Amino acid sequence: MNDQLLAAVSQYGTPALFGIVAIAAIGVPLPITLLLIVAGSMISQGAMNLWWAIGAAGAGSILGDQAGYAIGRWGGPAVVTRLSGVFGKRISLQAMEAKVKAWGGSGIFITRWLLSPLGPWINLASGTAGYPWHRFLFWDILGEITGAAIFISLGWFFSDRVMSLYGVLGDLTWAIAALLAAVVFGYLLLTYLRRARVQ
Amino acid sequence: MAGTIIFGSRAGRRVRQIHTANEPIREWMSLPFVAHTHHVPAAVLYQAIGVRPEEPHDRRSVRHLAHELKRPVSQLIAQLQRAIDAAAQPPGGQPR
Repeated sequence: MNDQLLAAVSQYGTPALFGIVAIAAIGVPLPITLLLIVAGSMISQGAMNLWWAIGAAGAGSILGDQAGYAIGRWGGPAVVTRLSGVFGKRISLQAMEAKVKAWGGSGIFITRWLLSPLGPWINLASGTAGYPWHRFLFWDILGEITGAAIFISLGWFFSDRVMSLYGVLGDLTWAIAALLAAVVFGYLLLTYLRRARVQ
Repeated sequence: MAGTIIFGSRAGRRVRQIHTANEPIREWMSLPFVAHTHHVPAAVLYQAIGVRPEEPHDRRSVRHLAHELKRPVSQLIAQLQRAIDAAAQPPGGQPR
């Protein structure tokens, strides 16, 4: 599957990149980071245009994210629960809605590129939680363009080491996610202990 | 914190290997892409498998070429790898 997607980007360029990132943004698990790194490598070889690539990746992701938001907003929790079953991931919509409310715009921004596996679920939960659309759109555009620019640039700089770079980024993402989880857990624990001491 | 240390150290190890490890040839790669990642002229690879490059950018993947040549993908990859190894080690010379 991955090889076929990579071959499609290699052969058809930015239109294929646009279509694949849009599908992934709706919730289908696809290796978007690797596709963007490969696109960066192709740019360094003169086989793709930098601005077209960032534009196609950004626009495709934003379109998919907006579709996710619309499904959550107008489809409601029942449709979202059914969708999560279709994609093989049972999510707790209430937990996601709580994250949307707690994290706000910064959560939308960071799940566009750093914690990207959470992105599609945050889109749906933003819709069901009634998060204002204009704010969602703002953070979505900012996050997706940032993500596309970062990964395409990395692919461009390490154009002859795309698979190795993908491995490094995978481990780094998990390390950062674990660090964030440790910080949040530590903060919650401290807050709980302070409250317990006051009482 | 354990997760941060484990994945952080793995990432560090991979970063140290990034300049020494060879990239594998994958079936989705085009011949110019394979040539770029292995630092050999694309003409060497085209000559090795007896195919003429398409202009200006040949986007055909290794899989696509294997299909055109009616040969197994693994066999074509092995032939490309031999051509890369030969280009890295000129006849009678030391390996680059």
